[in-house]
Amino acid sequence: MTEASAGRLAERDRAGNGRTGTGDREQLLLDYPVAERVLDNGLRVIASPDHAGGSVAVNLWYNVGSRHEEPGRTGFAHLFEHLMFQGSANVASAEHFGLLQPAGASVNATTWFDRTNYFEALPAGGLDLALWLEADRMGTLLTALTAENFENQREVVKEEKRQRYDNVPYGNVIELIIGQVFPPGHPYSHTVIGSMEDLNAAEVEDARNFFRRFYMPNNAVLSIVGDVDVETAFAKAEQYFSPIPAGDRPAELITAELPPLTGLPRIETTEVVPSEAVYLTWRLPADRTPHFDALELAFGILGQGQSSRLIKRLVRGREIAESTFASAMGLVGGNSLGMVGGRARSGVSPEELEQALVDEVERLISEPPSEAEVERAKAQTERHWMHELARIDSRADQLSGFATLYDDPNLINTRFAEIAAVTPDQVSAAIEAWFTADQRATLIYRRAADDQTAASTEDGR
Amino acid sequence: MTQPEQHHDHLQLPVFGPRPEIAPPRPWSFPKPVRSELDNGIELINYRLPGQHVVSVNLVLDLPLAAESRELEGIAAITSRTLDEGTESHSTDEFAELLESAGAGFGLDVTSAGVQLVVDVPDRRLDPALELLAEAVITPALAEGDVDRQVQLRLAEIEQARANPSQAAAIAFRRTVFAEGSRYSRMTEGEPDTVAAITSDAARRFHSEHFGPRGAKLIIAGDVGDEIEALAGKHFGGWQVPEQSTVAYQPPQPGRRRAVIVHRPGAVQADLQLGGFGIDRGDPRWADVSIASYIMGGAFLSRLNSVLREELGYTYGVRLGFTPLRSGGTFAVSGSFRTEVIGDALRRTKELLSVADRPFTADEVSDAVTYFTGISPLRYATADGVADQAAVQALAGLPDDYPDRRLAALRQVTPESAAAAYQSLVDPENLTLAIAGDADKIAEPIKDAGFTDVEVITLD
Repeated sequence: MTEASAGRLAERDRAGNGRTGTGDREQLLLDYPVAERVLDNGLRVIASPDHAGGSVAVNLWYNVGSRHEEPGRTGFAHLFEHLMFQGSANVASAEHFGLLQPAGASVNATTWFDRTNYFEALPAGGLDLALWLEADRMGTLLTALTAENFENQREVVKEEKRQRYDNVPYGNVIELIIGQVFPPGHPYSHTVIGSMEDLNAAEVEDARNFFRRFYMPNNAVLSIVGDVDVETAFAKAEQYFSPIPAGDRPAELITAELPPLTGLPRIETTEVVPSEAVYLTWRLPADRTPHFDALELAFGILGQGQSSRLIKRLVRGREIAESTFASAMGLVGGNSLGMVGGRARSGVSPEELEQALVDEVERLISEPPSEAEVERAKAQTERHWMHELARIDSRADQLSGFATLYDDPNLINTRFAEIAAVTPDQVSAAIEAWFTADQRATLIYRRAADDQTAASTEDGR
Repeated sequence: MTQPEQHHDHLQLPVFGPRPEIAPPRPWSFPKPVRSELDNGIELINYRLPGQHVVSVNLVLDLPLAAESRELEGIAAITSRTLDEGTESHSTDEFAELLESAGAGFGLDVTSAGVQLVVDVPDRRLDPALELLAEAVITPALAEGDVDRQVQLRLAEIEQARANPSQAAAIAFRRTVFAEGSRYSRMTEGEPDTVAAITSDAARRFHSEHFGPRGAKLIIAGDVGDEIEALAGKHFGGWQVPEQSTVAYQPPQPGRRRAVIVHRPGAVQADLQLGGFGIDRGDPRWADVSIASYIMGGAFLSRLNSVLREELGYTYGVRLGFTPLRSGGTFAVSGSFRTEVIGDALRRTKELLSVADRPFTADEVSDAVTYFTGISPLRYATADGVADQAAVQALAGLPDDYPDRRLAALRQVTPESAAAAYQSLVDPENLTLAIAGDADKIAEPIKDAGFTDVEVITLD
């Protein structure tokens, strides 16, 4: 067994505080306890006591997301996540929920481009049960996997796709955008939900191979946060997970950074939507690179909050948009994605809105973000970040994530200070490198007349 | 039935011990507030929560929707939404910059019982955030251009809601489940015709008549101490509105049962709302019905979800929920079903909703009780969780220890009492149906499922 620790292990009389010092400078650093141990089978375990509420959060990240999927099997990481609730050697189908909910747990799992996470939060007396359930499916899922379960969850996932994407206005936006920003075959060029065609083509044998390839203790991080002390958390993790042998850990997927977009790719699509809409997108550097941190502030300055430039000028001001947005979506595999856009007010053409959005992007260079704008964006980030860490379940998720993606769970205490250190000059430099008008892709939604069916044109690729 | 795979990569399966037992949760109770009163009568309800450094401020105004005139419905929402669009002291842009420089987030919620204005802010910036909230609610500019813009944005929002299938079904459901022509049958934030008629003059008049300290409650939750009374007094204690009118809350009345389809050509799913008129938290049946609806459609392995999702794969998820209002309420089964199976889904839903031949069991009841008991501490572990619940209690006229009383009442529920309460409200053969979907494909299967009177409606 190897062991590592970070941060303070000492327990405090007032847990869940997460605040140190009183001066502004010191307040940028938080002091949540973070202790870490690696089991012999490679499972990385992180413990962070917080005795305030009597609850405990268990959170597992597996280092597999949609970016790890094979061609022709898009959506598989997510379909597989559903299968993880269909039983294992000692657990019947859906019994995972059936045992945990009566223990007072909130339970779920999610799949994203960069990971799959499984989590439950419940009164601390249920910690053993939660760990036992997670260990059973990590160790023995395939003994319970049947063609029936597979077919059933394939149908459930297809309904999820219809409900969230196919049957709602603008539901195809992410699919269209990532197709513009990432080249065919790139790990981020397909959606997490996948295509109907690939979901139909998936077979139960694919699930077996997927489990063998990615689901093993040495490709996972387990965080235990809440009303349990560090040594007890480690001992319980050891007790339940150590019987699971290590697997052949998949080689790390390294995707080279691509340069910014060129050639102004453009899609215009005509659909049954309530308002015409414009989405401008950028290929950005990977999450948590210095340029990305600076760009996250730039997108906030441009489009987040009532004092942002887009809302000030396009929603108020010229009154040409019913809503606007700007956001940077951090991804670890070489590049991230940036989005700027809005829905046009009735009577405003999408071209007029598009030009206004482009003008505002250009103005980020002609009128660089001011000290005050940068400070406002940081203040908003600080509140979101403090709020995220205030709950043990989201704190556990951040610990697992930082350990999985950056090998540093203590980032929950230091991450905000990294963002707070970004200067206005650095924001401007990042904009000039990655976020200029000629580095964009454009997606336009036009309204179909009532009797018109959808159509789209594409060029610039 | 396919046999499970017997082989595994590893030589033998890992051997785990027996399934662990659960140790009972430690006792928990909802935090007790410190209550005081400002000079002008505003009630200060302060929850002192150590370690909660994002403070949640919730100003609850005694402003039921009944204050709106029929011609200007939506004016409570439009007026509230324009409060942070500039004040007598600051322009719209200045106000937004001050609020966001303080790291504060502003939000609001308009309900049939009253209006909530919410600010979340890191504790060290609570003072300026409270000052700005007070400025917005006491001296808003409500300028013509800003009110007009909020009217236009609300009209666009209605278009977005009608284009969304689950929202469209919900709009159709409320038109049917509440008495025809009553305020509750129309959207809380207003329908297009009355929203379009709202002017800045009307909004200013509505503000001066109805926004005031009488009946207002200021809920502040977070890591704050004794200084909070002086701080609240400084910013809110001077608010005087002698002409503030008091409007009585108007309870809802049930509507006539109907079955309607909102036609969405080409829809690949049918979005369902199937339910009826319900009860509020003060009703003696509330605990029984809470348990019954969890068993029927609240748990992941509820009777509805385990069949319609886990057995049949008809839907990503289906639930039954009771929505309490200050008085009365509604209940509905909701879910999105593949177009091809909606007839069978409805038939099976009606069968599952019946408890005549399948009474609730003691295990089902006990699982529901331990679920509600166990999730409470985490749900109320943060300042915003506590403040939101306190606001719900303020709007519904419930006591401070309502969450504790509710858990105690849940523990008294028996299978028989749950069934009796449930059956007094849910008659599976006589439910109101609203579905958004492709009428050309779903109308016949819906009729065949027993809804022979189904009509196709438009939301315009």
